[in-house]
Amino acid sequence: MIPFRMNVSLRILLAAVVSLAAVAPAAAHPHVWIKATSELLYAPDGSVTGIRQHWVFDDMYSAFAVQGLASKEKGKFTRAELAPLATVNMKEMKESGYFTFVTADGTKAPFADALPDYGLDYKNEMLTLSFTLPFKQPVKARDITVELYDPTYFIAFELEKQAPVHLVGAPEQCKLAIEWPREMTYALGKQLSNNPEAATNFGAYFANKITVKCP
Amino acid sequence: MSLRARRFAWALGATIIVVGALLAPALAQPFGLHGAAAPQPSGFTGWILAEQARFYRMLSHLIREAKANGSAAYTLLGISFIYGIFHAAGPGHGKAVISSYLVANDETWRRGIVLSFASAVLQSLTAIVIVGIAAVLLGATAKMMGDTVRVIETVSYALIVLIGLRLLWVKGRSFLQLLLPPEAHAHAHTHAHDDHRDHAHGQAHAHHDHGHAHHHHEDEASAWGHAHAPEPQELKGPHWLKRGLAAIVAVGLRPCSGAIIVLVFALAQGLFWIGVASTFVMGLGTAITVAAVATMAVGARGFAGRIAKSKPGAGLLIVRGLETAAAFAIILFGAALLTGYMASERMGMF
Repeated sequence: MIPFRMNVSLRILLAAVVSLAAVAPAAAHPHVWIKATSELLYAPDGSVTGIRQHWVFDDMYSAFAVQGLASKEKGKFTRAELAPLATVNMKEMKESGYFTFVTADGTKAPFADALPDYGLDYKNEMLTLSFTLPFKQPVKARDITVELYDPTYFIAFELEKQAPVHLVGAPEQCKLAIEWPREMTYALGKQLSNNPEAATNFGAYFANKITVKCP
Repeated sequence: MSLRARRFAWALGATIIVVGALLAPALAQPFGLHGAAAPQPSGFTGWILAEQARFYRMLSHLIREAKANGSAAYTLLGISFIYGIFHAAGPGHGKAVISSYLVANDETWRRGIVLSFASAVLQSLTAIVIVGIAAVLLGATAKMMGDTVRVIETVSYALIVLIGLRLLWVKGRSFLQLLLPPEAHAHAHTHAHDDHRDHAHGQAHAHHDHGHAHHHHEDEASAWGHAHAPEPQELKGPHWLKRGLAAIVAVGLRPCSGAIIVLVFALAQGLFWIGVASTFVMGLGTAITVAAVATMAVGARGFAGRIAKSKPGAGLLIVRGLETAAAFAIILFGAALLTGYMASERMGMF
């Protein structure tokens, strides 16, 4: 029924529409950059009760975020003046799991809601968001991994180069290892483009990884 | 009847394949295609993502510098232009919708370029108008601007769906009329020499037929001879620019998140006008990329059309089928964007 020529044309048509589709992928590049410092909070029994985060936003996004906010002194914002913005941030981040993903001996360790001690500070035209994430259950494990990333890669997280992680009250034998996010390169792009799983969790390929091993 | 059924099944299958090929990668893959469907310049998208992020970061430094040093403003414009080119080459539905629209409507590449530039200019304008009115005049917060963008994007995605539905109505109907032979279809559109169609001649045949001079003439008017579907001109409706206006608005209405952030940052530095210039130049870069992709799409469609032309009857069916598939694709792009299944750039606090 289908003549040979039609097959040829069909193939050309397919090539045409496929070439259209190829230019319509669904990921973004970062618009926000965060320099992060994390504190792992230990209880006397050696379990981790939560994580305290300090996130410094890049200057461009900080300027955007404070746009239109009222302040007593021009160009300066107090913690109280930034409180409504901090509340919005915390509320919206809850859906994203606070961009912090923890596994304890291989199983996921979920967070409860952030504690009310969160707040924003404004210094050198940059915002810093500080907040504490308590685990639903204190986590006691030999091997704890904390990953920090935005799955959609709208935000690029990067742990500070100097002293980015503090183990607060941890047993002395615990060993800390840190992996910074890899850089997006042509080679990585090539690798990811052959990996269908990268589609749904793109940002995970640019995760910061904190590993704590306690005997 | 069995011929009808087979034709229908074949065409339905082909349409599904085409729509699938068009959409599956767009919805599921941030890096374009994978698998055997089509070869793709590997890593290209990843590289684009890396480069545009790099250029985007340079913008903030250059805006700061422009405050003290006027010549940095020129560098800023240059980088904005390059950023625009790269940003449009990366993720985004604009190219896909414009290209599908051009394919579905059988527009020329020149019109494609005009539509690409018009939508990019509109996109720059919406960013400038939002920041200009909301931030400069009203002192609105980032959240208010984010909420505004969300409303605008819902409208623009709905508009994309509507454009797709309209095209599907026109092209799909014509496709079905071609597909299902007329014995079951009493159209009002019957010509005097209906018998011609049943022979399913090629156009070439008609040219030999010197005895029927008026038939020859008729053939020219109806482009591909014997198919009694609506003519291309009927399918197109009003003037192309008027027709394309909806596509321009649907694509250009939603401002780029990056442009809004850059504008607000420039405003905070007391350099709003430099931000405005940067946004327009970014738009110019975007337009170049979108126009290039649109031109490729039009070229591919033209090529397919020429080949289809040499196969009368079936050829027209394929062309209408392709247009119908493109209309489908537009609807699905719009629906995916509306439902959040296909994410566009975020624009809120997080």
